[in-house]
Amino acid sequence: MATSTISSTPLSLSDRLTAGVIALLIGAFLVFGAGLANSAVLHDTAHDTRHSYGFPCH
Amino acid sequence: MIVRTLLAAIVAGLIAGVFMTGAQELRVTPLILHAEQFEGEAPATTEQPTGQPGAAQPAAEGHDQHSSLKAVSPLGAVLDALSPITPAYAHEGEHEEGGIMFGLSRFSGTLMANLVTGSGFGLLLAGVSLVIGYPITLRNGALWGACGWLAVHMLPAIGLPPELPGFPAAELGDRQAWWLATAALSAVGLYLVVLREEIVAKVVGLALIAAPHVYGAPQPLDISSNVPAVLGAEFAVAALATTLAFWIVLGVVSGFVNERFAKAN
Repeated sequence: MATSTISSTPLSLSDRLTAGVIALLIGAFLVFGAGLANSAVLHDTAHDTRHSYGFPCH
Repeated sequence: MIVRTLLAAIVAGLIAGVFMTGAQELRVTPLILHAEQFEGEAPATTEQPTGQPGAAQPAAEGHDQHSSLKAVSPLGAVLDALSPITPAYAHEGEHEEGGIMFGLSRFSGTLMANLVTGSGFGLLLAGVSLVIGYPITLRNGALWGACGWLAVHMLPAIGLPPELPGFPAAELGDRQAWWLATAALSAVGLYLVVLREEIVAKVVGLALIAAPHVYGAPQPLDISSNVPAVLGAEFAVAALATTLAFWIVLGVVSGFVNERFAKAN
């Protein structure tokens, strides 16, 4: 674990944190839209996905 | 470089999303469709001759039908009657305009939602990995995935098991808030337990994981349902097993893509 930490981190610290925060924000947005957003169209489109991922649904 | 890292996470998520769609069709989707047949029978206004023996306790069926689905039952019944939504979605009584985006078929809608959800979880996993500084590799990818599954599915499912359509449930907003809080606390707790060496951190991590369950998930007041309990049990196991497979695929593919794609400049 320790060696892979060093060897496979090609980004500088600030780049890594920037990429990480951007990834978290976009990821949260996508998961929220597909899984939790209170929109009828989104709900119906993602209905089976929401149930099978166990998102709280209707 | 940042863009390449993000793209790697999205690619892993898309692959896992396609896998998830196939895996869902095996067990989870048939159970959802099966449960929806019972769901339509629930309100007293649509009384049907096919009483389901064993679906609910006979004594409970007489007086609990109005509250067995939702508190908006009278309004919901009217909207259901006027609604253009297919019967499969009739439980969404409070929205009269709904329907699947872009006129897609149900399967395509599910595929699209799985791709979006997969990308989202792929980005979240990559984001956590980047922020805490532990890269996802081919070797540890399955463990990353398993931890993601624990945080997002297994631990929240202790309080809010995966529900079938037609299952009784508490207020949606309360459940979503509890689910989000539990997933977030579980993720932080798992980080402290798994990746931190200090005993204090591990104890705090366990406390964080336990906290939402001590607080308690929002529960429905009335637990009667027309959907047979056997379906619910089968579905809960199938949903958790399917999502576990999804997360392990996501973790392993993320590790693979990270090593082959994100690293190459």
